[in-house]
Amino acid sequence: MLAVMLREFRLILRRPALAGLVVVLPLVMLLALAGIFRAGIPTGMALVVVDLDRSELSRSVTRMLDAAPELRVREQALSLSEARALIVAGHARGAVYLPPGLERDIMRGARPEIVTFYDNQHMSAGSMIARGARNAIDTALAGLRLSIRQDQGEASVQAQVSSQPIPLQAHALFNPAFDYVHFLLAALVPTVLQIIAAAATAYAISLDFGPGRHPQVLARMAGGVLPAMLGKILPYTLIFLLILGLSDIALYGWLGVPLRGSLVLMAAGAVLFILSVQLIGALAFVITRDMGRAASIIAVITAPAFGFMGLGFPREAMSQLAQSWGAVIPGTWYVQLRIDQSLRATPLDISLWSVVWLGCIVLVLGVLVLIRLRHMRHQIEVGP
Amino acid sequence: MTHILSALRAELRGIFADRQVRLIILAALVIYAVVYPFPYRAELLREVPVVLVDLDRSTSSAELARRVDASEAVTLTHDASDMIQATRLVQERRAYGVLVIPEGFERSLLRGNQSPVALYSDASYFLMYQRVMQGAAVPLRQMGAEVEMGRLIAQGTAPDVALAQVSPAEQVEVPLFNPAAGYATYVLPAAFVLILQQTMLMGLALVATRRAQGHGHPVWRVLGRMGAWVLLYALLLPMYLIVLPTFYGLPNLGNPVVVLMLGLPFVLATGLLAQCVAALFRHGAVVQVVLLALGLPFFFLSGFAWPVEAIPAHLNVIAQIIPSTPAIDGFVRVSQMGASLSELQFRLWHLWGLVGVFICIALWLEMKQRS
Repeated sequence: MLAVMLREFRLILRRPALAGLVVVLPLVMLLALAGIFRAGIPTGMALVVVDLDRSELSRSVTRMLDAAPELRVREQALSLSEARALIVAGHARGAVYLPPGLERDIMRGARPEIVTFYDNQHMSAGSMIARGARNAIDTALAGLRLSIRQDQGEASVQAQVSSQPIPLQAHALFNPAFDYVHFLLAALVPTVLQIIAAAATAYAISLDFGPGRHPQVLARMAGGVLPAMLGKILPYTLIFLLILGLSDIALYGWLGVPLRGSLVLMAAGAVLFILSVQLIGALAFVITRDMGRAASIIAVITAPAFGFMGLGFPREAMSQLAQSWGAVIPGTWYVQLRIDQSLRATPLDISLWSVVWLGCIVLVLGVLVLIRLRHMRHQIEVGP
Repeated sequence: MTHILSALRAELRGIFADRQVRLIILAALVIYAVVYPFPYRAELLREVPVVLVDLDRSTSSAELARRVDASEAVTLTHDASDMIQATRLVQERRAYGVLVIPEGFERSLLRGNQSPVALYSDASYFLMYQRVMQGAAVPLRQMGAEVEMGRLIAQGTAPDVALAQVSPAEQVEVPLFNPAAGYATYVLPAAFVLILQQTMLMGLALVATRRAQGHGHPVWRVLGRMGAWVLLYALLLPMYLIVLPTFYGLPNLGNPVVVLMLGLPFVLATGLLAQCVAALFRHGAVVQVVLLALGLPFFFLSGFAWPVEAIPAHLNVIAQIIPSTPAIDGFVRVSQMGASLSELQFRLWHLWGLVGVFICIALWLEMKQRS
């Protein structure tokens, strides 16, 4: 087996296609992903103000909107339909409508409406626009509210107290900095690695077990089909673990994503994750005995896997069937483990289950590959 | 002309005679149409479970809890005696938020002091966080406003004046497009465009790696192939971008003609890009793995899910080379936002520009191959 492993490492060095797939491709992907999300929270998203009041107050609201870091008041539109056209064409992500007579109505106590329109088709940006505008308008109005009250002779502290009898102290559990960027990155890295590791393993195996190749040489070298297969798989386990480790150093070290859990559990999870993903690749190949069809199977399992992990739309809200499908994919458990052990500081007795599940997946896939190998052994040892 | 036609026929034969290409361009399209939307069928997040830690146990605290529970976004599913117990429920993912009503809540409310409550919500999931905040904040603000109005009225202020003082203007937020904030409506129109591009890239690149030397001038050969792609995708693209979304009940405000006008340069640019990819990686297996891995980065580079305002400039330049970047934006604006052709002219020119660039590269590759 060791001889096969050493041979495999030499093979990687000799074959640029293989080296490209297992080393260059994952590294380029990691750099690209880190690059996309490195900048963090979006700033300066374009907003249109439809100011039909043109008063001191409406100008101060506009100034407050422009001062919000996530917003940039792009221009004034003369009408709502003009603002809408700007949003549809993609020149702005939202519009704030300040009706005529706004200042006068507020002073009279007539409670005029200030309307924020936002593009909710681009939901992530849209919700940031809505939140930014709400806060900016609130700030502009809060000053006004205090001044109305003080005009009526209330002491300033008293005015402030009674303006909000039940203030909400909002706390963000586990992620106080609201850092979805690094959170997303911590999940995207395993997802992409899952695709590459499964496909690259199948490809490496196809180089020796594919049609027209001579697996019997390898089997003789290792002393059996099983050690030969292990010898093919394990070198890539090491390589992908190294790449995962490297990306984690970048993530938790350089980018400063918090790591609040057990490193041992994370490491155990990582080993099982890589192994199970490789076994998916191996199984796809030993079932089809053809790289093209194996790649298609791998594509169907790993390419849509991100949706099933529940990072965008949570797993708990999915149908039972979708949850079960997600549970079969190793990445689901590994990403959950990473989030638990990095952000959420989940107690070990809860988090252990993710690792147990990963272990089960490895076991089941391993048995399936073994069964297929027993079928193949006969053909291989006798020769075609 | 005969050279063009024979190249067209050869390309169609390359697509339909090869089992693997058929599998990718046709079968994978069908499978992905089922699998991708699968997690999002529920569309909306309702009744997110939240833990209640009521340390006051008073009439007012019960009233507050009742109002929060009545909101559509959250349900108070668990009662916990302290924060430790509650946090554990959240860590087990059995709940996504904790509402803490502190001791003395009612007393300080009656005294006319500020009486804060605390809401801890699970911020490791963006969507859950938003829903929990929404679900609790609205009833809280309402109850607060009522309490304050009650105080002002008790002080002898007229009710309407009291209301105006509590909130001088009404803030209304109106979501344009996808008003219900459905997740499938949000993500699927974009995902379908990307699936179409990735399967097309993969399939046509495979055809290119397996193609025997053709006849005739390179220009006729490339034109013939482009004809073949247009023929095939004149069928597949409307199926995927018009019929399939309708099947999933997604809103469709778009004019089919605009979809087709965008579709033509999109198909041509993608097909031509596939020729470049094939020449770059040569082996069919490598092409497949690389394109498989690129799917997610392409999606995030397109500026749809992750706003373009947050993507570093140099990466954004690279993103413009990928047909999906203008295509996702364009198709989503047509079908979901009802954009007209004139509103989309930048994306249209962008796609035709890509066609122009890629056609030059494809021709150059073709000439190089012949010499």
